[in-house]
Parts: sequence; C-alpha cells; structure tokens
Amino acid sequence: MNLFNLYKDELRGFFKSKIMAFLWIGLPVLVIIFHFLQNTSTDQTIPFTWLSALIVSSIGGTLSAVMLSVSIINEKSRHVYELFLIRPVKRYEIMLAKFLAVYSCVAVASLIAISFGMVSDWVTTGTISHAVLSSAGESLAISLSMIAVSCSAGVLIGLVSPSIIVGAILVIYGGNSLSVIPLIPNMLEVADAAVFTIGLSGIVTLLLLAVAVISFNRKQF
Amino acid sequence: MKSGNVFVSMQNVTKKYHDLYALHNVSLDIKEGEVFGYIGPNGAGKTTTMKILVGLISDFHGEVKIGSHKMPNQRNEIHKLLGYLPQNVAFQEWRTVKDSLKIFGKLSGLDDQEVEKRVPEVLDLLDLTTVCDKKISKLSGGMTQKVGLAQALLHGPKLLILDEPLNGLDPLSRQTFKEIVKKLSNKGTTILFSSHILSDVQDVADVIGILNHGKLLQFGSLNQLKQGLSAPKTVEVLLSTPSNRWQELGKIKGVQSIEQTNPGKIILTLQSEVDPDDAINRIGKVIIDLGMNIRGISLLSPSIDEIYINYIQGGQAQ
Ligand SMILES: Nc1ncnc2c1ncn2[C@@H]1O[C@H](COP(=O)(O)OP(=O)(O)OP(=O)(O)O)[C@@H](O)[C@H]1O
Ligand SMILES: [Mg+2]
Repeated sequence: MNLFNLYKDELRGFFKSKIMAFLWIGLPVLVIIFHFLQNTSTDQTIPFTWLSALIVSSIGGTLSAVMLSVSIINEKSRHVYELFLIRPVKRYEIMLAKFLAVYSCVAVASLIAISFGMVSDWVTTGTISHAVLSSAGESLAISLSMIAVSCSAGVLIGLVSPSIIVGAILVIYGGNSLSVIPLIPNMLEVADAAVFTIGLSGIVTLLLLAVAVISFNRKQF
Repeated sequence: MKSGNVFVSMQNVTKKYHDLYALHNVSLDIKEGEVFGYIGPNGAGKTTTMKILVGLISDFHGEVKIGSHKMPNQRNEIHKLLGYLPQNVAFQEWRTVKDSLKIFGKLSGLDDQEVEKRVPEVLDLLDLTTVCDKKISKLSGGMTQKVGLAQALLHGPKLLILDEPLNGLDPLSRQTFKEIVKKLSNKGTTILFSSHILSDVQDVADVIGILNHGKLLQFGSLNQLKQGLSAPKTVEVLLSTPSNRWQELGKIKGVQSIEQTNPGKIILTLQSEVDPDDAINRIGKVIIDLGMNIRGISLLSPSIDEIYINYIQGGQAQ
C-alpha cells in the first residue's frame, strides 16, 4: 500500500514537473530529427522503426540512470527525505517506488517512440517488413532490460554520490561498462542471446537494488 | 489523560562526529503529556538529539526508548506514534500545500476518509487555507514553516518532536502555535521542541533542558532551574513619589545592599540565608513607618534569559 502510494506520488511528481512531457514527446521528436539528418547525409533511408529502436537502446539507459541519480542526489541534499523517513514507511519502499516510477516512465517513452516509428513507416511506405518488426521487437526487449539495469545503477549512484557532479561522472563510467552486458551473450555465442540478456539484466538489476537498499538503510541523515 | 509515565527516555546517549562530541552522555526522561523545551547555543547538539529520537541518526551510543520501543531497532513502531518537524523543512519543488499533506497523511497511516477530513482542519488551524493550492516552493519562509508544522500535526501523533518550530513565524502565528501545544499536551500528546526564543519556551514548557557543547547542563521545571541558580535574591520597591530617605531601607535586618536605579525605584539585595517573604514584610512596615508613598513591592525572580546566560556562561553541570 505504501509502495503504491509512493509510486503514484513519484509519477505525479514527474507529471507536474513536466518530466513526462519531455520524455514522451521528446523521444519521437528525436526520431524525426534523426530521420531528416540521415536523409540529407545518405541516399539510403533506415526505416523509422529501426531508427526509433536504435535511439531507445542508445540513450534509454543513460537517460534513466541520470534521471534517478540526479533526482536522488538533489532530494538528498535538500533534505526532502526526512519527512518520508520518519513515517512508518520501509526505506526500501521509498527507493523501489523511485525505481519503478522512472522505469515505467522510460519504458512507456520507449514504447511510444517505437510505436511512433512503426506508424511513420506505415504511413510513408504503406507496409512494415517482417524483418524490421522482429528485429525492432528484439531490440526493444533488450533495451527494456538494459533500462532496468541502468535504473538500479542510477538508484545506487544517487545514494552514494556526495554531489551531482560525482553522480554524473559515475553514471558515465557505469553506463559505459554496463552497456557491455547485452553484448556478453553475443560474444559467448549462446543460442538464445536475447533471452540470456534479459535474464542476466534481471539478476544484475536485483543485485544493484539490494546493494542500494542496504546502503540506504544504513545511511545517517 | 497524562499518565505520569515516562514516555521518552534517553540514557547516556553519546554521538560523535569524528573527534567532536555532538552529544556527550545525555540522559533525560520526559513524561507522557509533558512539554519539553530544549534550549542551548548554536551547535550545542539539539538537532542531533532530535534526529536520534526520530531515527534519522542511528549510529549513536546509549539507550533511547519511546514508549516501550527501542530506537533504532524498532523505529518502524516508533514512527507510527511520531510527528516531526525538521529544523530546515523542505519539500520537492513541484508539491502544492494540499497534495503534500495528503501524501504525508496517507504515509502516516490515515485512510482516504481521514485524510479528506484532517487536511482541511489542519490547514484551517494554521491559517493556510488560502494558499492550499500553491506550490510550497513559492511560499514565504514562515508559510513554509507552517506547512512543516501541518504535516507534523496532521495525523494526531502521540509524540511531537519539533526542531525550532517558531522559526520565522509572526507574533500571531507564534501565539497560535503555543495554544496548539498547550491543547495537545492537555490531551496527552508529549511534545519536545527546541527554540532560541526563551520567552516562548517559558510560556509553554513544563520541563526545560539546557544543552551546551553536547552536555545537558540542566534539566527540570523553570522553578527547579531558578532554585538551582546561586544568584542573589532581590526585592524591587516602587514609590509613587520619590523619597530622599530611601537609604534608610538599607538598615533593615536581612538587607545586604541597596541602590536606587531610578527616582522612586529601589532595588534591595537580600542576604543569602534570609527568607524573602519575611524580608518583604519587614520592608513594607518600614516604608509605611517612614511615611513613603508605596506603589508596589515585589521579589524579583531571575528571568529565563538570566537563567540561560548564567548556566551557559557558568557551565555548571548537573
Ligand atoms: N553531519 C554532520 N557532520 C559533522 N558534524 C556535524 C554534523 N551534523 C552536526 N554536526 C556538528 O554537531 C554539533 C551539534 O550540531 P546540532 O545541529 O545538533 O546543533 P544545534 O544545537 O541544533 O544548533 P542550532 O541551534 O544552530 O540549530 C555541531 O558542532 C555540528 O557542527
Ligand atoms: Mg539545530
């Protein structure tokens, strides 16, 4: 119940501070911009669907890690947690609510961007090829699991960083090394690379969240 | 509804920041329904004490109990009883007054109906109704402080811990606050608050603690603090027409010294072993015998400011 209330409260915050608008409208706008950029620089055009999947997978993770770490560091330094921490709320619920709120917001943004890509392809060419669809689907699944890893890393970085600058440095360091994870199954040449990636991401997410919760529980305010 | 049972208890609590003792062996017991006023210079350790009591600081030494629950191990149980106002209360930028109270009410365990009932009541109590839809970040300092108070009072907690609640409040709001404190305490709410405005502490506190450099110098009612003070007893005599025979009062038995601070205003210092009531009787008789026109005669008791300065500068430990 508390978790649900906290989650709703976070979402309300994203809505009121216009974070949702920037995310949900911003990503499709990026797709359009990239479409025109590559149109002017090459003769070939990449389908919208691929383009949007590419954008989601390349920036979705960093975006979520930055959102979480910056908001946690900011709220920590402004002491807004004190009013939550002195209520009968488990500390893990506070962090989990933040994690879920950012994850669902970025996930919805990714879905909106890719749906926008598919609709654009359909409107401009009249069809969407099967190959494009299935590869976009796979890329979305991998992106969503990577976004989960990034969100949990963002929570941990937010909790341990003393300042926003340190947080930003850690996100960039961490973001780059974490993006290796989806490549591991491919490098190992396992059969179901996508499934493997999703499973691996799930485990890493849980581990990072567990470390974050332990550190939050021990934190002095 | 006051039971007389100890509700908040700290035993030998010590908290160090590196080499600095923010608190050093502090012990205090506060009874259910009592109002405890916590005073001391900047950096004395008042906020540290309160953060320990509410569970924001858990790496301390000593024992802290609230009701039958121990801090920090049972902090979740304690949090069900608690309302807290931090020294610098802060809210996320996007929050409005009303919806922040709603979420805090829910998190403190109120159900939807109770929230709908209590939020307008508290807004009204603190005169915040007109700004209830505004963003807190756009409010004045004192208004923000009142929102902070509102979130602490909202769910009717058994224990209120308020760190400088009067900070930034205008005189009328301070009055309102003091009335709220008295009313809640009569209903059995235990209240701890810190303040630098000593007259406000004097107005509402049943017990007062004086803290300096992490040490509790004094703990007790205002009268107990006065008695503990070795300051001389003084009597003030006011005459409606000044008399040039005032120095004769200095010859009265038990009077140690005498001075006229203004024409018609005479201050007599009594010898330490003298009973002040007997002395005042004798002084009154002599004044009448001398045919002076008397307006008033009273025993001057040390003000809370004098008590504070005396203990802080004297550094006398309990
Ligand atoms: N996080 C911290 N790290 C290091 N030292 C700290 C920390 N918090 C407080 N202190 C130190 O502990 C001491 C007590 O501080 P505290 O905030 O409890 O004082 P206070 O009595 O509330 O003062 P004020 O009246 O100014 O609010 C101070 O010397 C302060 O510098
Ligand atoms: Mg303080």
